[in-house]
Amino acid sequence: MQDKSKRLNLAGHMPLISLIVLCAVTALLTDRFLSPLNLTNILVQSSIMAVIAMGMTFVIVGGGFDLSVGSTAALAGCVAAMVMLNAGIAAGVVAGIIVGAAVGFANGLVIAFLGVNPFITTLGTMVLVRGVVFLITGGAPVAGETGLPDAFVAFGSGRFLGIHYLVWVPALLLAALSFVMHATPYGRRIYATGGGREAAYLSGVPVRRVIASTYVWCGALAGVAGVMLAARLQSGQPTAGEFYELTAIAAVVLGGAALQGGEGMLYKSVIGVFIMIVLGNALNLLNVDSYWQRVAVGAVIIAAAAADRLRSGRDR
Amino acid sequence: MSRVRFVVCAAALVLAAFALAPTVHAQQKITIGVSLAQDDNPFYIAMLRGIRARAQELGWEVATVSANEDKLRQINGVQDLIARGVKGILISPIDAVGVNAAYDAAAAAKVPIVSVARGSTSTNQTIHVAMDEKQIGRDIAEWTAKKLGGKGKVALLMGPSGAPTFKNLGDGYGEVMAKYPDIEIVSRNDGPLTRERGVKQTEDALVAHPDLAAIYTANDDVALGAMQAVNAANRKGKTLVTGMNGVPPALRAVKEENLAMTVELNPVEWGKLGVDVLATYLKGDKVEPRVFITHIIIDSANVDAKLPKT
Repeated sequence: MQDKSKRLNLAGHMPLISLIVLCAVTALLTDRFLSPLNLTNILVQSSIMAVIAMGMTFVIVGGGFDLSVGSTAALAGCVAAMVMLNAGIAAGVVAGIIVGAAVGFANGLVIAFLGVNPFITTLGTMVLVRGVVFLITGGAPVAGETGLPDAFVAFGSGRFLGIHYLVWVPALLLAALSFVMHATPYGRRIYATGGGREAAYLSGVPVRRVIASTYVWCGALAGVAGVMLAARLQSGQPTAGEFYELTAIAAVVLGGAALQGGEGMLYKSVIGVFIMIVLGNALNLLNVDSYWQRVAVGAVIIAAAAADRLRSGRDR
Repeated sequence: MSRVRFVVCAAALVLAAFALAPTVHAQQKITIGVSLAQDDNPFYIAMLRGIRARAQELGWEVATVSANEDKLRQINGVQDLIARGVKGILISPIDAVGVNAAYDAAAAAKVPIVSVARGSTSTNQTIHVAMDEKQIGRDIAEWTAKKLGGKGKVALLMGPSGAPTFKNLGDGYGEVMAKYPDIEIVSRNDGPLTRERGVKQTEDALVAHPDLAAIYTANDDVALGAMQAVNAANRKGKTLVTGMNGVPPALRAVKEENLAMTVELNPVEWGKLGVDVLATYLKGDKVEPRVFITHIIIDSANVDAKLPKT
């Protein structure tokens, strides 16, 4: 028994071990990898995807799935930019996050209360929301006559205590949301619902409300990511965020979450994001041909999914 | 069990590292970084060929990163190039504003950054090797209006929204067409520069307007798609498709009279010009902030001279 729990423990740290091995190998191959500039770059490059992946973790742990996060981020970024140009930065940021949460709320209602398959529902919202973005922006980037407010653009590139603002956001969110997921009854209900909906229902968990709430988290966090994206791109970009949903799902699975729900942790999903970003960064630093990069990224995603399958197979 | 897997994974990574190792050693020469908007578009593939050819003549290494129309990825890629220690960067920005952070990063690292083809509004753009977009748009429109005898319905398949290149092209085109009262622009759509989109939007345009006289496209790939749809609808020769860029498949299509005309920008020469401009700048000589590449209209009259020799 002792031996078995030890083994599971090591398996639980596979994402972190993979990340460390990946970093070590890259550092051996090029001394530029560990330069302060490159390490800062990796943090900034991971920041936006980390926020999206955290939202995705809520949904996947709750036994669901969300394909609409990329479109939602684009919508939130454009709405934030448009509101900001008229009503100031704070109003813009709040508007962006609310719009994201609203999309998540709509997803949650349809999936939890109408019982429509999450894959189909969010595939629908992914397309629908992208259409809305193009409609409200007329397809053109939102930057006003003279660009977005300087303070907001500075948020996309400035630093506090030597760390980019964009990196502080996921760092603080990770601390706060980890508390929600692991130290509150609500958090335990998400795990219970994802682990076995029927059992959770029978033991008194309001499964529908819990499931719907995970989509609201996911949408709101996609909204936060959208606002960060607008700051980074110095404009609201209607075409931004394409395929982000796939990267986020891949990162969450790389982080050891089970696609059938009930398993997964926020910080491990963030590690999954780091694996994806470091992989891209390493391939760029090593000047690997961009076509090979696609092959490599695809192979890593399949390998992670296979590892997930092997693990769940063994546990049974 | 998991320990075994861990060892296997580690071994695989180390093996992969050895397999990659040869690419890293030859790094003593000057390296320039290249970040193009797409790595799967023939125009950029040809441009990269030109860049590599001229860089090789100068004894330079070329490091590329791909973006594939994802702005954030382009910013990240440029950051990676800077971290890698490149001496200069050639970039074809996806958007005039959206990737300005890449220019800021280059400026902060004191690395010159030259825009090739598409340009940026960033004040940190060192040089822009551009085309005279409005003039090209006007030239295409004049050519089309003459062919149509000054009358007919025209559909515009523009480029991705937000890239000023395609807006300027379309504006120049519209400016000339406005002078012809009998030419009617019936639709104007933004979209990605892909063949697939060219087929789809042309099919729709031909349903809405079966008597469409001409289709303007912002790019040869879109034009080749439009041409497929026109031929499938048995409108070859009745609906003129005009392209833009002059990539080899488009030149062949002009030869076969499937495509009415295209504009040669010669991406290979463009890439070479970009490297030359960067070389001049790195030597410390003065370069104008905007350098123009020449363009030539190609139709059935002059296509033979332009066809790639096989």
